[in-house]
Amino acid sequence: MSDATRSARSSNDRAQLDAMRARAWGHIIFNGALALLFAFMFLRAGELPSSMWEPMGAGTFPRLVLALLVIFNFMIIVKELPHLKRTSALASGAVRNWLRQHRLAFGVLLLFGLLTAAVPVVGFRWASFPFLVACQYLLGARSGKALLIAALIALVMSFGLDILFRHVLTISLPRGLWG
Amino acid sequence: MLEAILSGADQLFTLPTLLTMLVGVTVGVIAAAIPGFTITMAIVLTLPLTFTMPPLQGVATMLAVYIGGYTGGMISAALLGIPGTPSAVATTFDAFPMARNGEPGRALALGIWASFFGTLISTLVLIAAAPPLALIAVKLGAWEYFSLVVFALTIVASLVGRSMVRGLMAGLLGLLIATVGADPLMGVTRFTFDLRVLSAGIPFLVVLIGIYAVSQLLREVENPDQVQQGRELITGRIEFRPFAALREVVMNPINLFRSSMVGVFIGAVPGAGGSIANLLAYDQAKRGSRHPEEFGKGSSEGVIASESGNSATSGGGLIPMIALGIPGSAVDAVLMAALMVHGIGVGPRLIMDHADTVYGMFMAMFVAGVMMLVICLLSMRLFLKVTSIPKSVIVPVVLTCCLVGAFTLNNRVTDIYLLLGIGVVGYIMTKLDYPLAPLVLGVILGPIAETNLRRALMTNEDWTLFFTRPISAVLLGLAVISIVLAIRYHLRQNRIRPEEA
Repeated sequence: MSDATRSARSSNDRAQLDAMRARAWGHIIFNGALALLFAFMFLRAGELPSSMWEPMGAGTFPRLVLALLVIFNFMIIVKELPHLKRTSALASGAVRNWLRQHRLAFGVLLLFGLLTAAVPVVGFRWASFPFLVACQYLLGARSGKALLIAALIALVMSFGLDILFRHVLTISLPRGLWG
Repeated sequence: MLEAILSGADQLFTLPTLLTMLVGVTVGVIAAAIPGFTITMAIVLTLPLTFTMPPLQGVATMLAVYIGGYTGGMISAALLGIPGTPSAVATTFDAFPMARNGEPGRALALGIWASFFGTLISTLVLIAAAPPLALIAVKLGAWEYFSLVVFALTIVASLVGRSMVRGLMAGLLGLLIATVGADPLMGVTRFTFDLRVLSAGIPFLVVLIGIYAVSQLLREVENPDQVQQGRELITGRIEFRPFAALREVVMNPINLFRSSMVGVFIGAVPGAGGSIANLLAYDQAKRGSRHPEEFGKGSSEGVIASESGNSATSGGGLIPMIALGIPGSAVDAVLMAALMVHGIGVGPRLIMDHADTVYGMFMAMFVAGVMMLVICLLSMRLFLKVTSIPKSVIVPVVLTCCLVGAFTLNNRVTDIYLLLGIGVVGYIMTKLDYPLAPLVLGVILGPIAETNLRRALMTNEDWTLFFTRPISAVLLGLAVISIVLAIRYHLRQNRIRPEEA
């Protein structure tokens, strides 16, 4: 086996171990946070009123579900702990690489968040038009022709969709504070 | 009877009725193909347009939208991995991987033929067995309904994903999401934390769009090199061979018939519908298959089971509606409303008093099924063009449609905030390999489970009735068996792939 093959295989193994460790941490943090939230909700559900007409009150069914959820959260955490023991600390720069790899997903999520925040303020048409253009630009529409097509698509999907819903389906999309 | 059939045919086979049905099928296919735009929404929007039509024309047009919709939900499920409607959730399991493996044309053609045969079989059953099947369905009491929900959730949790524990956790999370908002019996507000966004609860369609569409779209853009080079969603040569797919579907007669019968029966159970039928049909197909290991990787058996199962609910849902006046689903309730608008009382006397309308509806199901087949086979190449659009266009456009879909459900701006939040949760869950189908099913079935559990105990505080009433006991027994079988299957898989254990 050549040195190059060996080194490629070892870097591949290293990446798999890093992924396993990161996934284990992800499960532990996610389920730990959920277990805390569910325990808090379990206590809150105890304050819900009971009924004189039925043995179960408004809080019994949610408490049943919450109790089961906390049990499953702990089961998942216990199942993931051995993966932490089996792997060593993440390689330096692993988190940075992961963030870099997911930059487009986070970028789209950020733009979508801005869209949902802007819709009630400026209305659907004026919020979705810049969103559609910016999102297409972020995902690769960079040349002049691509940007022109992007602007046309944005126009159809913002103003066009608004007209379709308003005049054909008689459903009014949000018009914003000044609409 | 013959006179009624001829009268029904006379009303149905007129140019205006056939034309409006053709438009209805097309609208149904297109509407359901848009994620977030459900069959129920399409039917509700069609209802006012049918007010001016004669009764049978109005109902036949709505049935056409209904049948077109069941097939349309498969298009985005296969091409984008986003179920266009809740009844196409299981279709994503195999049709999407099949499309990703370079066979989008095969996935769509299999789905179309399976939908067609599912509709055909369910219509035949509807005609032959409506009264006895409806009688079985209405015998289910609160105990049986609760046990049915437990059975459905355990089946879904056991059949999707690599881990049963994560599947069950996702299902329970769905049940918890359904408890947010007003309590179904007392109206007490729960878990809203004085937030306006949560005060009206979390609608399941918003969860469906957020969990599937938003999180799936975010996953689509995880590879910057591929996305920014303008690569297509599905690469490679696309072939559409409808007759090869027909042969493949026909060569699976047991799977096709079994899945259609599951769809008919589930459709006949009031409250249950295509969303449960496609998952149950898929599960049964997986258990009965000689190659269960291929399920989830692009198995043709999986696509056939899911699509014939959900399309067969269209006929099944009409069974209790026609025989007893009980709608099998939200869509059937709208159809019932359409009949009532035209002064036709729906109930046990419907077949006796309006036999021509009922037989006309049966024939309309057949006609709509054939129209759906022709329209889909002729226009599928157009739908396949979706695959040649780059992600830079698809992702923002579909996200915008999702936002519009979430808003128009209730005309509430707060629903779009929920959409964003649920999308983020869905993305985290997919990154950590949690199955999403149990969560969505949990949200849909949560209110049914809670209401029936509480009603059962309100009627009789003896909880052992859940185990002593025969149908309830059988359903709970099946739930336990499905868990045991799933654990055995996972243990075996782990032994085969020790590195993944």
